[in-house]
Amino acid sequence: MKNRLLILSLALLILPVMAEGQPATDDLVSSCVLSAGENTTYLKDFRVQLPKASPGGTAPVYKANMYLMKNMKYRFSVCNAPGSNGELVITLYDQGKELISSYNRSTGKKYSTVDFICNKTGLYTIWYDFADGEQGSGVGVVCMIR
Amino acid sequence: MTGTITKIAAVILLAGICSCRNSGPRTGSLSFPVADSVPAGEAEKLSEEALADIVQNIASPVEIASVLQSMQVPFSAGYLAPTREADRLSTNFQKAVMLGIYGADLGYLNIYEKTGNSVEVLSTIKRLADGLRVGQYFDFETLKRLSVSKSNLDSLLFLSVNSYNQIDRYLRDNDRGSISALMIAGVWIEGQYFATQVALNNRDEVLRDRIGEQKIILGDLLMLLRPYSTSSGEYQSLFSMLDQISRKYADVRVSYRLGEPETSEVDGRLIMVQHEESIVEMSDAQLAEIAEMSKEVRNKLISGI
Repeated sequence: MKNRLLILSLALLILPVMAEGQPATDDLVSSCVLSAGENTTYLKDFRVQLPKASPGGTAPVYKANMYLMKNMKYRFSVCNAPGSNGELVITLYDQGKELISSYNRSTGKKYSTVDFICNKTGLYTIWYDFADGEQGSGVGVVCMIR
Repeated sequence: MTGTITKIAAVILLAGICSCRNSGPRTGSLSFPVADSVPAGEAEKLSEEALADIVQNIASPVEIASVLQSMQVPFSAGYLAPTREADRLSTNFQKAVMLGIYGADLGYLNIYEKTGNSVEVLSTIKRLADGLRVGQYFDFETLKRLSVSKSNLDSLLFLSVNSYNQIDRYLRDNDRGSISALMIAGVWIEGQYFATQVALNNRDEVLRDRIGEQKIILGDLLMLLRPYSTSSGEYQSLFSMLDQISRKYADVRVSYRLGEPETSEVDGRLIMVQHEESIVEMSDAQLAEIAEMSKEVRNKLISGI
């Protein structure tokens, strides 16, 4: 009984310290904003955590809608959380039509940022998923290019 | 090189700020009952779906200011909402709308690097955010320090926009979508006010397009507010005022020209240029009417009517 109490007390003391040491999502957002490069202004971030795709199933997707405006240049950056198995991919859709993706599935090439020069104001859909349906967590950041 | 160093310094600073905020009493202070004027239930249920669909960046506190700056329109303190009346705001409705309005003002000040002037706006925002019990997302001391020192615009812009995003996310996650909707409406009306007032004196096609396209966004904003519009006189009045602006847009035409996008890779970065285009047709008279009505609504809101 005495040992269990000791272990519990130690756990209560140690766990918050361990939690403190874990990189916070906010930190990941900050570093992802940095990775967007110079002359950009942060607009929005999306915190994405998805499970692994079930065998034979489609990859889980995080979807968000966002207004993009004509005559604006947008930069979409993706950053993976430390320990994430999958690599975060952003794909931009306009009314169900794929416009641009950070992952070229035919060549396997991945980009950490993609730029979109918008000429049509409207509500666009952003899909975030992890390459090859892996489990993962990460952050997607949208900036405007000044 | 200097820019890179500045950005790195910004991120180190922000990482510190975020860590400090995460380790503070924030999580412990999050669960509290708040009596907003719209009871969670009827309106919330319906609006949550609509919110999820349309709320993202419906009105950014920095985009319009950025357009104005790129047009080289001089800064004018006359566009800012006065802060002296903020202390007499008594309802959550008024506080939320004004939080949005001052948020757009802060974006305007920051984009124009008039950060020394922003302390009064910052402290007003802090008081309103505390009044709505979302002050934990607004790091007043750091924002004030960055503003006064004028040392790091990137950090200041990030931190101020991020504070608004976090408040919005928290409100929506905690069944306070009605307050989030009011804040968004406040940001929108102030951005609309800046844009229309500048457009009256500066003929710029990009800005006119931006104002004309608000027809679409205003339609969605009204959809967002509609579920709450019958819940109280204040919501009804706001809905009705925004609807009056919408009516001024009735004959503004937004059409689309098809085009195939063009993708290229530059310095390892993928770039897409969209050739499909939205086209706005808006006469000077229509613009004048929209500007007048937008000004009237914005002034009513800041005077607490």
